[in-house]
Amino acid sequence: MVRTQRANGIPSATPGALARVRAASGRQGLGSYLVAVGGALMLADLYLIFMVAPTDSVLGHVQRVFYFHVPIAIMSFLAFFVVFLASLVYLIRRGTRWDSVAHSAAEVGVIFVTLALLTGTLWARPVWNTWWAWEPRLTTTLILWLIYVAYLMVRAYAPNRARAAVYSAVVGIIGFVDVPIVYYSVQWWRGIHPAPVVGPLAAPDALDRTMLAILLFSLATFAVLFLYLLLQRMSLRDTEDQVIELRFSLRLRP
Amino acid sequence: MPIGLLQAQLPPSNLPYLFAAFAVSWLVFFGYAFFVSRRQQEMQREIRALRQALEQQDTTSGA
Amino acid sequence: MGLLRPVLVLVWKDILLELRSREIVISVLVFGLLVVVVFNFALNVTPRQVAALAPGILWVAFAFAGILAMNRAFVAEKEQGGLEGLLLAPVSRDAIFLGKALTSFLFMLIVEAALLPVFAVLLSFSAFSFILILTIVLATLGFATVGTLFSAIAVQTRAREIMLPVLFFPIILPVLIGAVEVSSQAIGGGSGVGVGRWLPLLGVFDALFLVICPWVFSAVVEE
Repeated sequence: MVRTQRANGIPSATPGALARVRAASGRQGLGSYLVAVGGALMLADLYLIFMVAPTDSVLGHVQRVFYFHVPIAIMSFLAFFVVFLASLVYLIRRGTRWDSVAHSAAEVGVIFVTLALLTGTLWARPVWNTWWAWEPRLTTTLILWLIYVAYLMVRAYAPNRARAAVYSAVVGIIGFVDVPIVYYSVQWWRGIHPAPVVGPLAAPDALDRTMLAILLFSLATFAVLFLYLLLQRMSLRDTEDQVIELRFSLRLRP
Repeated sequence: MPIGLLQAQLPPSNLPYLFAAFAVSWLVFFGYAFFVSRRQQEMQREIRALRQALEQQDTTSGA
Repeated sequence: MGLLRPVLVLVWKDILLELRSREIVISVLVFGLLVVVVFNFALNVTPRQVAALAPGILWVAFAFAGILAMNRAFVAEKEQGGLEGLLLAPVSRDAIFLGKALTSFLFMLIVEAALLPVFAVLLSFSAFSFILILTIVLATLGFATVGTLFSAIAVQTRAREIMLPVLFFPIILPVLIGAVEVSSQAIGGGSGVGVGRWLPLLGVFDALFLVICPWVFSAVVEE
């Protein structure tokens, strides 16, 4: 039987699998490097946030959440952009690599967007005296969360992995195209309410330079963190794929 | 000036919210990283077991 | 034209099927009616609040009724293998998508046309304004385009009924917002200021997704 040839049987023997193992250990090397860099950046970031950043005269210390909340929110949108690009390339060129990027970016992205929402509410409550406000940025973030969830649900409920990849790619593309439209709709819809001058969504020019610098540093820290988690998740997916291949070969042997 | 009046002029510190926000962030990130690495270990274990089973089949079927 | 005839044939086929079974239109009509009635009790709408609440109730009813209609779009094909037959026929994937979308669009319009006078009576507003009709057409087109694509995906997943709403609602939010805003202007007879920005938004949404959805549809239905 064709399928039981040795070349297809034990994955460790095939050149494709060897390349994957090499890539995986390369990735692990990169992973350790990223943990070190990310850890150092995070420590520095925390120091900056608590020791260097000036205390906001209006909001007090609780304003420091800003240095976590805003970068996390920015990264969650960036993650979705990665999902969009990878989904687009996947639909056009169909490599498992691209599906792996999209899937991992979506999973890590949903973590980021959930945190953005959580830190957002934990900041809104003391500052605005309400847990939630239907204003453009928060609302769009909530919709982004829903789209991420739809993406992951489609993957979970699809009949097989190939279909899961295609369907979720479609969701990734349509979702990303839609997000700007949602943002402007909500902005026009809420047009009567003025955006808060201070608070979670103060415009960047309202910041003084120290705050802006720390914010950017924080953004870099979370970018490294995102990259680390993304590579870890992609690595896990590779491993899962290997398990599936192995199970597949076992069942087809006579 | 009595402390009470002084404190009334400072912005409220709301430190519990600050702590909660940072704590939640750390928990979630670490939790996810931990979850991924644990799944990775489980999968590696399964790969070893599956490879063994595959090799046994190879030897018994004499291919 | 190469595209037009297959599309019309497909639409006619679905219309014939529906004429025989009358499944979709009746159930969607009843459902739409139920939504409005339930809302009326749930919100305890007083005559003074009607102008503010009526557009929202109207569009929630249309959106949920629309979901019901679109859920059925591919179910019959899936269960009776009609989709494989369609794919084997010398019809372009675009034509299949446009046919299905047009069918859903027409069914939804029929239901909305039937429900609108009823709602106008129940919620005490004047239904017959050109702007309102235009909005209904544009918004329903948006629903049908996005909904048909997601219905094709949802019908092949394990959680068919929940998958379509989960995919559909976050994406069509701009349409919903725009439709409600324009409707409330049209019903309340307010100034046309909002209309000038919302109607183009609906138009842009429709145009954008009428291009994107057929393109990804072929990937969705391939083997």
